[in-house]
Amino acid sequence: MLTLSSLSPAELRHRMSIDGLRFQTGAFVACVTSPISHVADGLERLYGDYPLRDKHDFVDFYLNLVPVGGLRRWFKPQVQFDHDGLRPFQPLPHDQAFSMFEWALNWCVSGRAHSYLIIHAAVVEKNGRAAILPAPPGSGKSTLCAALVSRGWRLLSDELTLIRIQDGQVVPSPRPISLKNGSIELIGRYAPGTVFSRPVADTAKGTIAHMRPPADSVRRAQETAQPGWIVFPRYVANAAPALIPLPRARAFLKIAENAFNYSLLGAAGFKAVGDLVEATDIFDFSYSALDDAVAVFEQLAGLGA
Amino acid sequence: MKPLPLLLRALRDPRVMAGLTLPDWDLLLRQATAANLTVSLYHLAQEHALLAHIPAHPREHLLWGHVLGERHRQAVRFEAAAIGAALADAGVPLILLKGAAYVLADLPPGPGRLFSDIDILVPKARLDDVENVLKLYGWAGSHLDAYDQRYYRQWMHEIPPMQHMQRQSVLDVHHAILPETAAVRPDPDKLRAAACAVPGMPGVQVLAPVDMVLHSATHLFYDGEFDKGLRDLFDLHRLLQHFGATPAFWDILPRRAHELELARPLFYALRYASLLLGTVVPDSAFHALESARPGRLLLGAMDQLFERALLPAHASCADSFTASAHFLLYMRGNWLRMPPVLLARHLFHKAFLSKSPASAVA
Amino acid sequence: MWRLTPGQALASHGWDGEYVLYNDLSGDTHLLTGMAFRILRQVQASPSTIVMLAQSCGADEGEIESLLADLELLALVEYCPC
Repeated sequence: MLTLSSLSPAELRHRMSIDGLRFQTGAFVACVTSPISHVADGLERLYGDYPLRDKHDFVDFYLNLVPVGGLRRWFKPQVQFDHDGLRPFQPLPHDQAFSMFEWALNWCVSGRAHSYLIIHAAVVEKNGRAAILPAPPGSGKSTLCAALVSRGWRLLSDELTLIRIQDGQVVPSPRPISLKNGSIELIGRYAPGTVFSRPVADTAKGTIAHMRPPADSVRRAQETAQPGWIVFPRYVANAAPALIPLPRARAFLKIAENAFNYSLLGAAGFKAVGDLVEATDIFDFSYSALDDAVAVFEQLAGLGA
Repeated sequence: MKPLPLLLRALRDPRVMAGLTLPDWDLLLRQATAANLTVSLYHLAQEHALLAHIPAHPREHLLWGHVLGERHRQAVRFEAAAIGAALADAGVPLILLKGAAYVLADLPPGPGRLFSDIDILVPKARLDDVENVLKLYGWAGSHLDAYDQRYYRQWMHEIPPMQHMQRQSVLDVHHAILPETAAVRPDPDKLRAAACAVPGMPGVQVLAPVDMVLHSATHLFYDGEFDKGLRDLFDLHRLLQHFGATPAFWDILPRRAHELELARPLFYALRYASLLLGTVVPDSAFHALESARPGRLLLGAMDQLFERALLPAHASCADSFTASAHFLLYMRGNWLRMPPVLLARHLFHKAFLSKSPASAVA
Repeated sequence: MWRLTPGQALASHGWDGEYVLYNDLSGDTHLLTGMAFRILRQVQASPSTIVMLAQSCGADEGEIESLLADLELLALVEYCPC
């Protein structure tokens, strides 16, 4: 199957300005159109391994990143997300166009894909079992996820854990991992050779960059995984790593609270979370040093094999 | 007329869905999403035993919509019970309108519906009691500025929307089906007198079949905003198919329309439902509405306007006239509901002074 | 007599004396104590009086009455003069 990297830069930009660039991100097919160079640059840099789709393939989500018109265009250019005529976001400064694409695609999936329980969590896999890392802001989830991924864990997702309602399997949708501020440099040192998008400063969250996912994770995006552990991470400065089992009824509620569509799924959502809690070992986890954290996860994976 | 968009072809004849290619499905789902009809497509496919013939990928999108539809159905049933309990406390019968009525009375337009609010009809004389008892049961009034509050209470057929503090559900309490300022005043007492009980739901009523159809027609053809136009027309189509299976219905419908001064919107409803969606309407019904038929020139102009405005709001269905069709109808809609002087004053205020757009004000 | 509100299937999970329950009518999910859960299971099996519930669940009538009031507010149980 042809990947994005098989297109020349000119061809990639041509597709993006005419019919749209179509590619597969695990469970979903996206079609992106945009005249804004930042979007094309980001896709070129981070999505090279992703399978290309053609004009006649079925698309799940259409994303159009358009410049905002009017006088602003000249002194403070902005970008807007257009979803087949719907504009659900406020415009952002032009140079955040690639981040906007990433957020927009997450918004599409989390708002629509109701054949999955969608948990706001990173999910990685080793030895056949998946570790789910739910993530309120400030948990350090993405940094931890990036660290694990650079130490041989397969990336299934950085933001949206998809639990298939039908059979409880974790379905991959691997995408670039978004990192902020100090984490960008931290991961750059932790995993030399990692490819990042151009960091963009002054966003609402500080400076943001996206990390290219390992080719292996993207190649294996059609391989589902059995859920093994749910770990609620919390970065605590100078803390020794501490893995504490969580009472299951409380864990149930914590997972439901972190799921975008729990309430929407009704009885099926209740069953999905219940089955997930039954099938996994669940912990609160506090840590400071990435090496410590990775070691703890390696131990879990070893025990579980 | 131009060739019909794919979505209309599927709504007219659901069996069309069995033979579509993947690119067809891609387009059909985009049109359906724009028109808020994805869930309805699922139900049509299910009714006609077509789901197995739809390719897996688009079928999954239909299933996504179905999950949403079921959750809305559950929520509406729960809300109706809660509203009923409150109204029972005040001794006022609960009459559900529009979508909530379709769901609770198990009518064909019910399963496809997604809800932003619930509409009920109460006697004007009991409005204060109703508002008070709802507040007691957890609904809060809207935070509108003094102008908008006055607009609602003086001129509209409903009080400002109420929101439940805990559940966040929105409730529209109507005392008539058209505003005070409209040129025609279909008598709400007659509508309430003819309301029917819903089997298995003590205390819950819906409008009589002909009144339900007339309300839907009036709502569609008097309103200014047509982004839900096709969905509303499809609801009408389904109601007409369902109730129209009884021959007597087609005699009573035009008579009741004349009685309530709603013959013109009914004429438009029957005309566009049959033209766009293929609803089977007996000639006798059109004959009985002959006096309400617009003159040839006006009808020609209306055909042009409505045929465009009632299409899915998707780029694939637009032509260069579509934007102005929506604007002209917005003007007409408001004009029908408010006399011209009041209209100008209201539009000016809405555009320049209101910070947050009021909810259902057309 | 108190009975389970019609339409409630009581889909639930219990771990270590705590229970989560899906409310089929409101769509809410509840976290319940063992006692509340026992009451629900009892009225699901058959409509019961407060006295019967106090006996089978091993609690005093005041506690039962108070729990029933809470459960009624959640549309899980209803009183029926049968």
